[in-house]
Amino acid sequence: MEQLTRRLQDPATSRMAFNEVIRLYTEPLYWQIRRMVQNHDDANDLLQNVFMKAWTNIESFRGDAKLTTWLYKIAINESLTFLEKERKRLGVSMDEEASMLANTIEADEWIDGDDLRKELRKVIAALPEKQRLVFNMKYFDDMKYESISEILGTSVGALKASYHHAVNKIVKYFSEKS
Amino acid sequence: MKDDKFDIMLAEMIGRKDGMTVPDGYFSEFAARMDSMLPDDRVTEKQPAVRTRWQMVRPYAYLAAMFAGIWCMLQMFHLMGVGSQGIVSPDTNPVLAEAISDDTFMDDYYCMDVDELDFMDDLYASGLDITNL
Repeated sequence: MEQLTRRLQDPATSRMAFNEVIRLYTEPLYWQIRRMVQNHDDANDLLQNVFMKAWTNIESFRGDAKLTTWLYKIAINESLTFLEKERKRLGVSMDEEASMLANTIEADEWIDGDDLRKELRKVIAALPEKQRLVFNMKYFDDMKYESISEILGTSVGALKASYHHAVNKIVKYFSEKS
Repeated sequence: MKDDKFDIMLAEMIGRKDGMTVPDGYFSEFAARMDSMLPDDRVTEKQPAVRTRWQMVRPYAYLAAMFAGIWCMLQMFHLMGVGSQGIVSPDTNPVLAEAISDDTFMDDYYCMDVDELDFMDDLYASGLDITNL
């Protein structure tokens, strides 16, 4: 990874190195974005923006932070900005975001699963933004708290609390349902 | 650990899949598409910003205008102070000083001792009726 970072910083090799970055990070970044915005087409557009921004700002990436952290930060910012724009476009408040996302989940064509999966997505979508981010990274991507902490700029303790609340809410929902 | 317990419980209840999919071959196609979309020349020389003469002097003009405004304000306060003193003080008002030095003026217009009772008598004599007040 250090070698890749060095190649990215060298103008002679940066283009080739960035192609490698795209191949390495397309999938994890896509799922991170998709789990926030719920729709494949939106996730696709946002992922393009993420790589475009990363490429145009590659000089500002000094290598002090991890490449993964830097890319995840861009992806999360893009996702949250997109959701904010959608809320404004549809005239919905932050509290109504869950129902906005529930509609998106209902209309999503790219699904492979039963109603339980759909319901899980809706329950996750109803979580506060921070809890949703932490839950997605921890539960689905099995990321370490330390890595999540670097990406979100939140202490490990706070992240653990967020994850605990998120898991509790989801367990409670499905326990009551069954 | 408590978190792990709930985590495992949740995984047992619903698994770790959220049922989202992508079109076949999406990720490899995306990488190729993205590669072709990226501009080759990311290093763009930053053009030095062209500043007009007005843009260069504007901060100084604003600063000068601010000082001029403060000067005008101080002048106004000064004039107001001088004006109010000039009306009452013969030292700074030459018209008043000249009038005071004129005996005829003082005899005609300046009453050295006004008795309140005389004043009331004059008013009654000129037809003042206190019941109509």
